[in-house]
Amino acid sequence: MQRSEISKQEAKILFRDNTYKIMSKKEKNIDQLEKKIKTELDNFTRELETVKNLIELDKIRTKYIGKKSFLIKTLKNIGDLPDDIKPIAGKKSNTARNKIESDILKKEKIFKNIEYKNKLRKESIDLSLPGRSTGTGRKNIISQVVEEIEEIFIGMGFEIAEGPEVETDYYNFEALNTPRDHPARSLHDTFFISENILLRTHTSPVQIRYMESHKPPLLIIVPGKVYRRDYDVSHTPMFTQIEGLVIDKGINFGNLKWTLETFAHEIFGKDRKVRFRPHYFPFTEPSAEVDVSCNICGGKGCRVCSGSGWLEILGAGMVDPNLYSFVGYNPEEVSGFAFGMGIERICMLRYGIDDLRLFFENDLRFINQF
Amino acid sequence: MKVTLNWIGEFLSAERLEPENIASALTMSGTEVKKVEYMGDKYKDIVIGRVVDFSPHPDSDKLSLCEVDIGSSKLSIVCGAKNFKKEDRVAVALPGAKVKDITIRKNKIRGQISEGMMCSEMELGLSSESEGIMILDNSCEVGDSFSKSVGLDDVVLELEITPNRPDCLSVIGIAREISALIGAELITGEYDFQKRLNIDSKFKIEIDDYNLCPRYSAKLFRNIPNIQSPQWLKNRLILCDVRPIDLIVDLTNYVMLETGQPLHAFDKDMLYSNKIIVRRAGKGENIKTIDDSIRILDDDALVIADEDKAVAIAGIMGGKDTKISENTKNVLLESANFYGPSIMRTSKKIGLRSEASNRFEKKIDPMLTVFAIGKFEDLLEKVANFKTEECIYDNFKKVERERKINLRVGKVGQVLGKDIDAGLISGILTNLKISNRIKDNSIEATVPSFRYEDLEREIDLVEEVARIYGYDRLDSIPTSTRDRRGKYSLYQKTIKDIRQALCDIGLVEVINYSFISAESLKKFKINLEDGYKNNVEILNPINEDFKLLRPMLLPALMKNIKDNINHNIKDIGIFEISKVFKKNSSGKLPFEINMLGVMLTGKAAQKGWDEKERAFDFYDLKGILEFICKRYYPYGSLRIKERQYRFFHPRTSGIVNIEDLDVGIIGKIHPVIIEETETGQDAYYMELDMDKFINNIKETQKYKFVPAFPSIDIDLAIVVDNKIKSEDIVNEIKENGTELLKKIRLFDIYRGEQIEKDKKSMAYSLSFRDDTRTLKDIEIEIIINRILESLGKKFNARIRE
Ligand SMILES: [Zn+2]
Repeated sequence: MQRSEISKQEAKILFRDNTYKIMSKKEKNIDQLEKKIKTELDNFTRELETVKNLIELDKIRTKYIGKKSFLIKTLKNIGDLPDDIKPIAGKKSNTARNKIESDILKKEKIFKNIEYKNKLRKESIDLSLPGRSTGTGRKNIISQVVEEIEEIFIGMGFEIAEGPEVETDYYNFEALNTPRDHPARSLHDTFFISENILLRTHTSPVQIRYMESHKPPLLIIVPGKVYRRDYDVSHTPMFTQIEGLVIDKGINFGNLKWTLETFAHEIFGKDRKVRFRPHYFPFTEPSAEVDVSCNICGGKGCRVCSGSGWLEILGAGMVDPNLYSFVGYNPEEVSGFAFGMGIERICMLRYGIDDLRLFFENDLRFINQF
Repeated sequence: MKVTLNWIGEFLSAERLEPENIASALTMSGTEVKKVEYMGDKYKDIVIGRVVDFSPHPDSDKLSLCEVDIGSSKLSIVCGAKNFKKEDRVAVALPGAKVKDITIRKNKIRGQISEGMMCSEMELGLSSESEGIMILDNSCEVGDSFSKSVGLDDVVLELEITPNRPDCLSVIGIAREISALIGAELITGEYDFQKRLNIDSKFKIEIDDYNLCPRYSAKLFRNIPNIQSPQWLKNRLILCDVRPIDLIVDLTNYVMLETGQPLHAFDKDMLYSNKIIVRRAGKGENIKTIDDSIRILDDDALVIADEDKAVAIAGIMGGKDTKISENTKNVLLESANFYGPSIMRTSKKIGLRSEASNRFEKKIDPMLTVFAIGKFEDLLEKVANFKTEECIYDNFKKVERERKINLRVGKVGQVLGKDIDAGLISGILTNLKISNRIKDNSIEATVPSFRYEDLEREIDLVEEVARIYGYDRLDSIPTSTRDRRGKYSLYQKTIKDIRQALCDIGLVEVINYSFISAESLKKFKINLEDGYKNNVEILNPINEDFKLLRPMLLPALMKNIKDNINHNIKDIGIFEISKVFKKNSSGKLPFEINMLGVMLTGKAAQKGWDEKERAFDFYDLKGILEFICKRYYPYGSLRIKERQYRFFHPRTSGIVNIEDLDVGIIGKIHPVIIEETETGQDAYYMELDMDKFINNIKETQKYKFVPAFPSIDIDLAIVVDNKIKSEDIVNEIKENGTELLKKIRLFDIYRGEQIEKDKKSMAYSLSFRDDTRTLKDIEIEIIINRILESLGKKFNARIRE
C-alpha cells in the first residue's frame, strides 16, 4: 500500500515538473508522452534481443512492465491527468505495454522449450527393464469355452437353465424314455447313491425339470458337470456338458439343422463344413450326430479324425413325443429339438489336447496356456 | 462290430460293392463306419510258395536253407521253423512285403542269402501265438496271392451299431441296410423248416416262463465229423475278431455273426437225459462255466438245465461239463430267444458279457432261431459234407410279430421341415422291407418281425424315412424365437462376474472332481467339524479315492497347490467355483451348494529389480474377500467372526459374515496339516457359499448425493495394548463420531522403540462431512476430543505424541 502511494506521487511529480508545467498545450503534452513511450519501446526491443535466458528475461520484464516501470506508473496515475489527455495517454500506454508483454511471452516460450529439452534429456530410463507384475490370473479353459458357447446361444435367444448334479433315476433315465431294462442304459455306466438316486450321466434331466415348470415357447441351454463310471485317456468320471432344448409350435428338423450349423460356424469358424448323421438317442427321434469337417487334414482324412475327414461334436434330435407325456405337453401341438455336447471334447478339438485327464489335474502350466 | 464286404456280398445281387461308397452310405444312414480296412493291402507281396527242398544251415543248428517255388521263380529262404516238409504250401513274404510292420528285404542270414520269409500265423496276424510257420492246404495254387487263396482278400468294415438296431448286429442285417440304400436285391435264402420241423417225442424242451424265453429251438447232430474248420472260415472269423476254436464252435460263431442269432452247442452225451428245461436258477445255485469259473446265480437268472443241473447260463455262457470237446460225437445245437432285460440283468450281476448276451440284451427277433439252425446245417454240409435227416425241436409261444402303423404324409413334412412325396416315402419303406400302401394322405405300413422292437410309432417311421432320404437333403431353416430374449439370470451373471473379477486380480481358476476319499476328509479333520459330517456316499465308486461327494473344496485345492509345488511352481493363487454336497434325509436328493474356494500360498510378490519380496498372508486373502464383497455390497458390513476350525490355525480361523449373514469361512491352514500333506509352505484358504452370497445382495441401490461440501480429514494416532482389536477401536470411534463421521481408515500400525513394550500405535484417518454445509474446525475438534476420551476410558488409550 505504501509503495503504490509513493509511485502515485512520483507520477504526479513527473507530469507536473517535466511536462505539464513546461508544455501547457494539449498537443505538446501528448507528443511528449508519445516520444517517451517510443523510446521505451525502442530500448526494450534492443535489449530483448540481447537476452540469453529466463533470468535476464525476468529482469527486462521488471524494467519495462514491472511496478516501477515508466509504462505501469503512467497507467497507474492516469487518473491524475487532465481529462482531455486521459484517453489518449491510456490507449498509447496500454498498446505499448501489451506489445512488450507479448514479446516477452514469445521469448519466454522459446527459452522454456530449450530448458525443458535440456531437463528431459537428462531424465532417461531403461525401457527394457521389466514392468511391475500385476499377477497372472486365468479363467479355466472349460469355463472359457462354456461362457463362449453360452454367449453364442444367448445371442440366438436362449436362456440358461441349471439343475442338480445328483439326480433321481426318474429324471435321468425314466422320463427320458430310458426305463430300467433299456439297452441304452449300458452306454451310461452310472454312479449310484441309492437305488433311485444317482449322479446324472448327462445334463438332459434338466430338460424334463424345465419343461415341468415352464410352458412353450422355450429355448434353453444347460451347462453342467456330468458323471460316468469310466476312467482312462479318453474318459474321466466327471466331465462337462452343454445341453440345449427348443420347444414351440412348428419347430422342425430344419430348425435343428439351422441352429446347430450356426453354432458350429460360430465356434469352429465359418469355413468348416457341418454334416448331420442319423444316430440313436432314447429321448429324441429322429436323432442325429453332428460332425464338422476336420481342420487338420481339410477333410481328406488324418489321424485326428481317424481317416474320416470329420470330427464329431454334438448329439441332437427332435424331442421324442413320448417325453411330452411326462411333462403334460400335447405332442400334436408343440414340437422341439434337443442337443448336447461335451465341452472337454470341443476344447480338445479346438486346441489339439489329446488327454482328457489333463482338464482335471489342474497343472497351472496347462491352465495358463489358454 | 466288424463285417467283411465279401461276406455281405453273398447276400446282395450287386455285382461289386465299392467300399468307400458303401461306408459312406452306411454312415449317412445311421450305421457309422468307424474304419475301413483293406486286407488285400495288408498282405501285399505275400504269395503261396511250395517247399521244393531244404537242408540244414551250415552255420546254425536252428536254421534251415529252403528252396521255395513261387511259380515265377524259385527262391532261397533261410527259415527258423521245423514244422514243414517238402511239397508243403506256405505263405512267402517277398521283399517289399510288410509283416508286423517290418518291411521284408533280401538279405544274408549268417552268410546265406535269404530272398523272403516263410510266415507263421502270428506273423500274418491270424493268431496271437503260433508254433512254426503256417502250412496251407495243398489245393492252394503256387504263386497266387496269399490273401486271395485263403479268403483274406477282403475289406473289413468296423461298424457302430446303435442299441435300437439289434437286427443290424449281423452280416445279413447290414446287407439288408445296404440293399435299401443302394437298391440292390437282398438274397438271404429261405429255410424250409416245415419239412424238417416236427415234434419228436424222444426229446423234450420245457420252458418254465415264456416271458423269459419266448422260443427255444434245438437240433441234434449225430456222429459229427471231428475235423478242423477250413482256413477261409477261420479267416472270416479272425477278420471279425472272433478266435477260431474247433469246427462246431466256429460254426456257431459264424452263424451268429451272419444271422445275429446266438447259438450254443452242447455235447449231447454229457447231458443227463433227453430233456432240456429252461428255468430260473435256484437261489445260490452255481454252475462252472466254460471259462472254468464257478458262477453263483441269483434266483432271477435264467438257466438251461437238464434234469440234473444247470448246463448253461441262458444267453450268456455255457457250462464246462457239457461243452464241446475233442471227444464229442453228438451235438445238441441250441438256437433260442431269451428276454433281453433279464439277460442284461444277469450279465451285469455276474460281470460277464459275451457276443451272445450283447445281442440278447437288445431283443432279437424270435423268428431267427430256426433260420439260424438252417444256416448251421447248410454250412456243415458245405465244409464237411455232412447231412442229417434229424428234425428240429421247437418250443415257443405264438406271439404277434407284425405291427401296423399309420404314417401321415403331412406328419413327415411337419417333423422334417420338408414335404416329401408320398410315393417316395412308400418306396423308402418298401426298400426297408416294410410293406405298405398309400391310402389318402397316409401310408399304411406293416412292420416286419425283425424290426418289431424298434418300429412302434408313427415317429419311428418318420425317422426311417428321414435317414434313408438323407439328412443332408433336408433344409436348414432359421428358428423364429418370437418374444424370447436370451440372457443370463442375475445369479448366473454374478457368478460369471466373480469368476472374471478373481482372474483379473491374478487368481487362476481350477476345476476338480466332485469326488473325495474318506481318508482325505480325515486327514483334514473335516469329518470332525459340524456341518461336514454327513457326506454323500457312492455305492459303486471307481476306487476309494472317489468314494464320497465332497462337502468342501479345501482338500482338492490343497492337492492342487501341492501338485504344482512339486512342479516347482510355488507362488500360487487359485480358486474354484463348484458344487459341494451334503446328505439329506434318506430318499431325498442331497443338498447341493455352489461354493467358491480361494487358496493362496507362496509369495504375494516376487523380489523384483525394485520390489521387495513378500509372502502371502491372511490379509491378502481378506483383501480378496473385501474386493468381491465391496463389488456387490458397496455399503454392506463385512466381519470376520472368530471361530476355530480344526483345519485352520487356531489363531487365524473365522467365519465370514456379511450383512449379519454367515456366508463362509476363512483362515490359515493348520501347520500340522501343512506338515502332514508335505505341502512345505503356509497356505491361506477361504470358502464362500455363493448361493447365500448372491441371494442376499440387495436390489439396485438408490442414488446417493455426490457430496457438495468438502470433508475435513483428521489423522488420529492412539497407543493401546497389543491385544486390543482394531474392530473394537473402530466401533468405539463410530459410536462417538456422530453422523458427521463418514469414513474411517486404518493407515498405520507401529510397534517399537518409540512406545512401550506390549503396546501398539494405531493410526486412523477419519473423514467428517455434512451434506448441507461446510463444517467448522471447532465442531470437529469437539468430536475428536469426545472420541479420545471414550477410547481412553474403554481401552486405556492415549493419543500418540
Ligand atoms: Zn483329419
